[in-house]
Amino acid sequence: MPGEQHQTPFEERLSAVLRDAGGGFDADRTALVAGGRSRGRRAMTRRRAGVVGGAVAGVALVGVGGATLLPQGKSNGPDVSAASSGTSSRPSASATTPAPAPVSGDTVLGEFKKLLPEGEFSQEAARGSADEPGPYAHLVYDDGEGAAALNVSLQRVEPGSPHVRELTRCPDKTFTPYDDCSSTRLPDGSLLRLLKGYEYPDKRVDTKYWSADLVTPGGQHVNVGEWNAPAQKGAPVTRAEPPLSAEELTEVVTAEVWRKVVDAMPASSKPPAADPSDTAPPAVSGKDITETLVGLLPEGLDVVRKGGQETEYTYAVVDDGQGESMVQVNVQYGMADVAGQLYADGETLPDGTRVAMQEGNGDDRVAGVLMWTADTLRPGKAGFRVVISAFNNGAPHAEPSRGTPALTMDQLREMALSPEWDKLR
Amino acid sequence: MRQARADEYAEFAVARAGHLYRSACLLTAGDTHLAEDLVQETFGRLYVRWGRVSRVGNPAGYAQTVLTRTFLAHQRRRSSRERATDVFPDLPGSGDGDASLRLTLLDALARLPAKDRAVVVLRYWEDRSVEETADVMNVSSAAVRTRCSRALGRLRELLGEDLAEYARP
Repeated sequence: MPGEQHQTPFEERLSAVLRDAGGGFDADRTALVAGGRSRGRRAMTRRRAGVVGGAVAGVALVGVGGATLLPQGKSNGPDVSAASSGTSSRPSASATTPAPAPVSGDTVLGEFKKLLPEGEFSQEAARGSADEPGPYAHLVYDDGEGAAALNVSLQRVEPGSPHVRELTRCPDKTFTPYDDCSSTRLPDGSLLRLLKGYEYPDKRVDTKYWSADLVTPGGQHVNVGEWNAPAQKGAPVTRAEPPLSAEELTEVVTAEVWRKVVDAMPASSKPPAADPSDTAPPAVSGKDITETLVGLLPEGLDVVRKGGQETEYTYAVVDDGQGESMVQVNVQYGMADVAGQLYADGETLPDGTRVAMQEGNGDDRVAGVLMWTADTLRPGKAGFRVVISAFNNGAPHAEPSRGTPALTMDQLREMALSPEWDKLR
Repeated sequence: MRQARADEYAEFAVARAGHLYRSACLLTAGDTHLAEDLVQETFGRLYVRWGRVSRVGNPAGYAQTVLTRTFLAHQRRRSSRERATDVFPDLPGSGDGDASLRLTLLDALARLPAKDRAVVVLRYWEDRSVEETADVMNVSSAAVRTRCSRALGRLRELLGEDLAEYARP
């Protein structure tokens, strides 16, 4: 751009014909956006309720020019090898067992309406079993007490996988506040989670989101969600609570018809985008990370709570008597290729370890939350990265409980550089 | 991710989907299925980190960067078959007089190595400078220049005649 605009006539014509050719492609934007969102959500479910994504992204994202990706092929959702399986998994591909006849979006919508108590429907939308990214129906339902958004979405999952555990276990309240949650096994072996939560984990808006997730032993996943507003986000609340009771939600989510819809999804798309953990580089166990983290904490700090993911990420909430302070760690591989961006302003130690220290802000929706971070990358191809952050609050959406985090920048640095982490490699 | 800013994300995604998709179609030299995958993957990644992305000032540029890198990473994984684009594009608008030139262009793009194609798309479709292109691709400016002149030479060879006749009103 600037300074090199003297294009040759050939280059100019090339630009023009590229614009022309590019302009000839038109996409179903809604499908692209919906597909992206569901990939993002899946990735986040794996990364546990967002604090991980948020925190790591916060450290990793440097700006547009030096923007970075999440660790390639690791925790970051169906990475592109998975993405490409979308291409090869088109219905025409070599599916060994023919899928049952596809179920149309209209049918999915009709079945959904049949299962709901009497009321008025509007803003209907749906996808069928052959549509990407999977069957779904959405509508606004009014039982006379106020319009509410409702939806059902269906997919295949791998029974027993971490993804399924995330779907069916009650979430960690540190990250996902909720009013009520139950996770039960039904007589047919299915797992059912009923969650009465909020659209926004920080509850800054009063929109409630109640959901039911059912995962059958055969890997059929049914999700039914309802809000106390006519849209998930951005619409004023119309009623105190979403319209369907837990019992009604259960009835809808367990209806047999949904399993048939899942079965009608093209056979080659199961299991959906094989969990990247199968092929990903080794992931460090969360339990080991927690132990190491707790072992490295300076004396005089009480560990009030701890938790985290099965791999890569854990946290501990500590208190030195001055108030709670959350300390979180990400331990990950595969970050060598983005070292240039991550540690551009940092230093390189004599052994080649890169270090970047940052005194930043935490949740920008809660005033005064500090996030102090020591970000380190061990030398070598493995790209072994240890990032420790400390906050001056005890949970991501909580008000500050103290002036500064319970650990100093020096302490964070020392902890992140500790050889103890190398024992986990 | 925190659920924050999801409306803003949705608005952004809808607004950018068309352009990103077209970029992806050029990057993949007309493989629309792969292009869809790449765009969804890009949106997935943006979704995960939207809170931060929205604050960097130029989410559209960032999205383009993610798309390009996603494409390159994808190509790396399947580098054993560099010329993956034997799918012929399902181009709309066949009544259009320039349709055959588009096909010729896509075919020519398909003959370029993936990285060269990315350079061409960034430089001549996205109008990025050499430095910006280098940044997006995580390579040096010199490498971009080399690739760019090689790609131009090749494209001139492949569609010189056709392009010479192409006159934009």
